[in-house]
Amino acid sequence: MNYPVSVPMDLYEIIGGRLDVIEEEAEHQELSRESTTRKACEDSLTSPTEAEDGHDMSTECEIVMTRNLLQEKVAEMENFASHLEEIFLTVEENFGRQEQHLEQHYNDVLQTLSHQYDDRAAGLEEEKKSKLEALYTQLLTCGRALDASKDLIEMAQEIYRSQDKRLFLKAVMPTIKRIEDFAKEETELSLSTSLEFNTPLADLSDVKTMMDTINVVPAPSAPVINPQMPNSATQTSLRVCWSLFSDDTVEYYELYYRPLLEDTPADSSSELHVSKVKVKETHCTVTATNTTGISPASEKALYMTVPSPPVIKQRECTSCPEAALIRWQSGNTNPVDSYTVELSEMDTDGTESGITESIVAVPACQCLIQLQTGRRYLISVRAVNIGGSSNRSEVITVSTTGTFFYLLEDTAHPCLSISEDGFTIFYGDEELPITAMALDDNTFTRCVAVLGDLIPVRSRHYWEVKVDDETEFRIGVAYQATERNSYLGANNTSWCMRHILTPSRHKYEFLHNGWSPDLRITVNPVRIGVALDYSRGTLSFFNVDLEQHLHTFHCHFQNYVHPCFGLDNPGALTVHNRIEAPKYAFI
Amino acid sequence: MALTQVSSNKCAGGFQKVFEHDSTELKCKMKFAVYLPPKAETDKCPVMYWLSGLTCTEQNFITKAGSQLAAAEHGIIVVAPDTSPRGCNIEGEDESWDFGTGASFFVDATQEPWSTNYRMYSYVTEELPRVINANFPTNPDRMSICGHSMGGHGALVCALKNPGKYKAVSAFAPICNPMQCPWGQKAFSGYLGPDRSTWEAYDATVLVASYSGPQLDIFIDQGRDDQFLSSSQLLPDNLIAICSEKKIPVIFRLQPGYDHSYYFICSFMNDHIKHHAKYLNA
Repeated sequence: MNYPVSVPMDLYEIIGGRLDVIEEEAEHQELSRESTTRKACEDSLTSPTEAEDGHDMSTECEIVMTRNLLQEKVAEMENFASHLEEIFLTVEENFGRQEQHLEQHYNDVLQTLSHQYDDRAAGLEEEKKSKLEALYTQLLTCGRALDASKDLIEMAQEIYRSQDKRLFLKAVMPTIKRIEDFAKEETELSLSTSLEFNTPLADLSDVKTMMDTINVVPAPSAPVINPQMPNSATQTSLRVCWSLFSDDTVEYYELYYRPLLEDTPADSSSELHVSKVKVKETHCTVTATNTTGISPASEKALYMTVPSPPVIKQRECTSCPEAALIRWQSGNTNPVDSYTVELSEMDTDGTESGITESIVAVPACQCLIQLQTGRRYLISVRAVNIGGSSNRSEVITVSTTGTFFYLLEDTAHPCLSISEDGFTIFYGDEELPITAMALDDNTFTRCVAVLGDLIPVRSRHYWEVKVDDETEFRIGVAYQATERNSYLGANNTSWCMRHILTPSRHKYEFLHNGWSPDLRITVNPVRIGVALDYSRGTLSFFNVDLEQHLHTFHCHFQNYVHPCFGLDNPGALTVHNRIEAPKYAFI
Repeated sequence: MALTQVSSNKCAGGFQKVFEHDSTELKCKMKFAVYLPPKAETDKCPVMYWLSGLTCTEQNFITKAGSQLAAAEHGIIVVAPDTSPRGCNIEGEDESWDFGTGASFFVDATQEPWSTNYRMYSYVTEELPRVINANFPTNPDRMSICGHSMGGHGALVCALKNPGKYKAVSAFAPICNPMQCPWGQKAFSGYLGPDRSTWEAYDATVLVASYSGPQLDIFIDQGRDDQFLSSSQLLPDNLIAICSEKKIPVIFRLQPGYDHSYYFICSFMNDHIKHHAKYLNA
């Protein structure tokens, strides 16, 4: 599961104590060179004044040249001397280290030998003791056997000398039996210990190894891996940093990383290599190696690449003269701590002005930005984590001329279709099969209508709607939560202008809560301006072609409203956005 | 041309004044009311002329219509003349309320004994603006006209007969088609004689059919419970029908419950001032 990477590699940089030392040395060199060149400069400055003294020019030239030559030599010598000095110091230092090392090593060897001596001496003692114990035990056994035979002999003689025949007869048989038994017992008479004295060969192989390696540097200790530094990664690379103990000599490092996979990793290693490109979080460990050996592995550290750039949801961005609401998708599964929104103003000639403003630490995937009226801005988003910030997302242009919004297509009645550009809605003739009427909670179910996604800013908003003379429509505003199974204007959560075709005339209503004033309009508006003023609590309608005021609702909208557009008979209407409100719209 | 100030009252930050002068057109002393908004102290302001209805003087509008606050807000001078010459000692001038004194119908009379003094059309469209522009901080290029009932008829006629002269026109319960209603027929036959073709010059519904000039934006409020609407003195439907046919922009609002009085007028005065302000301050 671990994949070693031989360092150096393009993607990895090592920062270790050794490098610092080398850098220091380099600095020293430069300093000394500087001082010598400075001297040369001073001297060459004095020479022209001497030339004026009237000496023979050629001799003087020669002298000057020779002197310069000498000076150069001197400089070289000085340079060389300082080099020597450095080398001297380094050699001294290295020998010091070497001596220390040697001493340490011989101490180790002596210690090992002493250990071996102790071990062997102890072994000998042990052997001696066991042999003596065995011999002594045998001696005791022989003694006991001797005593037993003596007893038997005495007993036999006593019986033999006995005068009483009856007694003799009584005792002789058991005694003969005992003597027979005794004769059957065999006494071990061979020597229980070997007579050989075995001296095993001293095993000096480890000492030999130690002696062999006496001039070899020790294997390095485990490097210390650093936690990830902020802004140290890109989308495809990481800067992994670690340090080593200053006494260690390292020939190369090996970096192991194991990706943290969200989904279960496949077993085959080739697939894992493919996923390496996608994986953004990884566990890193490092080992250091020199000729002697490999260090233990460092601790594990979690590293991550920067996130992928977010994807701005253009169709969900909305703006007005004072602000813009930008929405985006994270665009990756990589951990994202926050987002940065960057904006720059576009100059009148369409070029990007240098001034860039950033809104940092945006926690969510949307941001409401205060802007200046009548300008154009370029806005982009970056995702940020510990590794750094992502590349910027695609840049979108936001114009703060007029109010701009798209339609909330998920609110559209199933019979409504919306043009590709998102601004024209059609109500077709054909009847929809009941199966096509798959409705969710957000969809208008009765009124063939759709809401617009107006920016939630309580200022003035203006948009226009183009209609056909023969189209029966409802246009106005509604609260986000306006009843979806009711007609626009029929409730107290929507306000709208309605056009009705009667056999005799065009009728216009301005509906709220099911009520409309009685109003006659002699010229049918086909381009209708809608002006919403939150602060004054007005919603006005205009015939744009005539600049004619048609009607004004007075209502202090408690909630944010959305533009609404409905068609009461087959037809179409087109929403026109990003239009500067005419002066008369907000008198 | 000398003006005599009759009264001056501070109102809505400005002044409501009444003046008297000798009218050359009407050959009698005439009073008019003028409201000067606060803005008039420093700037030239546009002027809205108001024509009152039958029996009214310059007082009715300034005391009942409540126009001053809105006029102050939009910086508009409001001028309200009397509705007819007075004290001309013409026989029969005070005999009825709908003819003679207080009932000029804003025409230039051609018939004796009215033709000498009853030249209210010329007074309102020519002499009065001259007097106002000469004596007050006005912007002479920016004037508009509005009126009620007979004054509404007067306002519509003035605007339709003088394309471009008035930047805006609106009316409360105007007599829209005087040739077809008892009031108009009585007045026109008295002032203009029996030849009905001469009446057409003062009938808004006739005039609008042949209107040619800058785009108009006529704004009319009408009370639905107006007794004169039901007695066919006002006939707004005739005007609307012609305007619909001729594509003359009209917004006509039928206000439920309202009658013909100044209670009705003051209820919608702000909308009218705003309508005039849109064009006067454009």
